[in-house]
Amino acid sequence: MALSAVGALALAVVPLSEVLDAFRPDFLVLVVFYWCIESPRAGGLSLAFFSGLALDVIHGVVLGQHALALTLMGAWATHLRLRIRVFSVLSQCLTVFVLLTGYQFVLFWVDGATGNPVTTFGRWLAPFIGALLWPVLTGVMGKIHER
Amino acid sequence: MVAFRSTDTSGRTTGLLFRCVLYSLLALALIIVDKRYDHLGKIRRLLSVAAYPVEVAVASPFQGWHWFRDSVTTRDVLRADKAKLEAELRVAQFRLQRYEALEAETQRLRALRDNTASVTDRFLIGDIMNVDLDAFRERVLVDKGASDGIYVGQAVLDSGGVFGQVARVGQLTSEVILVSDAAHAIPVQINRNGLRTIAVGTGETNRLKLPYLPTSADVIAGDLLVTSGLGGGFPAGYPVGTIAEVKRDPAQSLADVDVKPAAALDRSKELLFVWLKPQAAELLPPPKPAAVPKK
Repeated sequence: MALSAVGALALAVVPLSEVLDAFRPDFLVLVVFYWCIESPRAGGLSLAFFSGLALDVIHGVVLGQHALALTLMGAWATHLRLRIRVFSVLSQCLTVFVLLTGYQFVLFWVDGATGNPVTTFGRWLAPFIGALLWPVLTGVMGKIHER
Repeated sequence: MVAFRSTDTSGRTTGLLFRCVLYSLLALALIIVDKRYDHLGKIRRLLSVAAYPVEVAVASPFQGWHWFRDSVTTRDVLRADKAKLEAELRVAQFRLQRYEALEAETQRLRALRDNTASVTDRFLIGDIMNVDLDAFRERVLVDKGASDGIYVGQAVLDSGGVFGQVARVGQLTSEVILVSDAAHAIPVQINRNGLRTIAVGTGETNRLKLPYLPTSADVIAGDLLVTSGLGGGFPAGYPVGTIAEVKRDPAQSLADVDVKPAAALDRSKELLFVWLKPQAAELLPPPKPAAVPKK
């Protein structure tokens, strides 16, 4: 679990060209959601909170911004976990999309509240990419977990 | 069907709301404290040490690739590089002789006028780590930190001119805000006529603006902008950029001036951290950032 979180964190900051960077999904967020749904014992809110804090430090933003967003969305995901587990692929992707959009929204709100308005709309692309990536991610994580 | 492995159907959803509220309040408290009081500087420094291995791990493939490319070049390429560097060095040394003489003369003239002279003395070269900090802000991470003596507000240059300022200092790394960041402003002076104003970043890497010039100001395209040294943050006389375009609308009271930065903001790999000369620094007010990032 820790390994997947660190791996996702590394993927979050790997430098990409300007064009590709717009399409970068929130890897760490997806991994946290996966663990909240899969087994809150291993992950859950503490993972969400500290991953958020790690994202804050590594992105150099206000401490607590990503932590708040991830905690709220992670709690929601954990609350819905029993239902999500039995959804079809499409429904899961849609649910993850809603969760990711909520996450971006909290970030956006904190940005505005702290006087740091981000004027581009690029961040709203990440939920789409993330939702599309969800089945791949769960497949990969499932395979690793199996071993 | 996307299958989940665990058969754990109970799993700590009890007390979920309580824990969620607890963590959320903690996160909110962190945001408020960090934003209002900036007490978290020390904690952030410690946390950044923990994040350092990840950053190094991410940057290392790129560094490894550069090292590999450097190690495996043909002898002809190396010979050509060497000849080119020697030629550049000769030109630079020639110019440096002239500069040292001029610097001494300026010191004498300034002493005559009873002014304080702020001339930089100490340099430190740092490398930009290949880590994307935030896609929407113009910041970079450099591999020098508090353990090398870097302080917040320190001026950072590259080979072309002024690059930016140190915004945050970790133990082993520091974050530099570029002059092109929308929240960055730097006091400048037009080299030709000495007119002083402030250059503000726009968020675009290749453009700064001078938003505080009236339409009657004496500024033309092609003018060189240098730091004015006011405020003690940046040393005076370093190139910031050249005026790219001046738009004067008679209906407006302020001119619309675009500046092309002198530094290669999107291409530099090595940066210079500068310190003001000790005796000059004593005479100036204690170093605080001349360009306070707008919060």
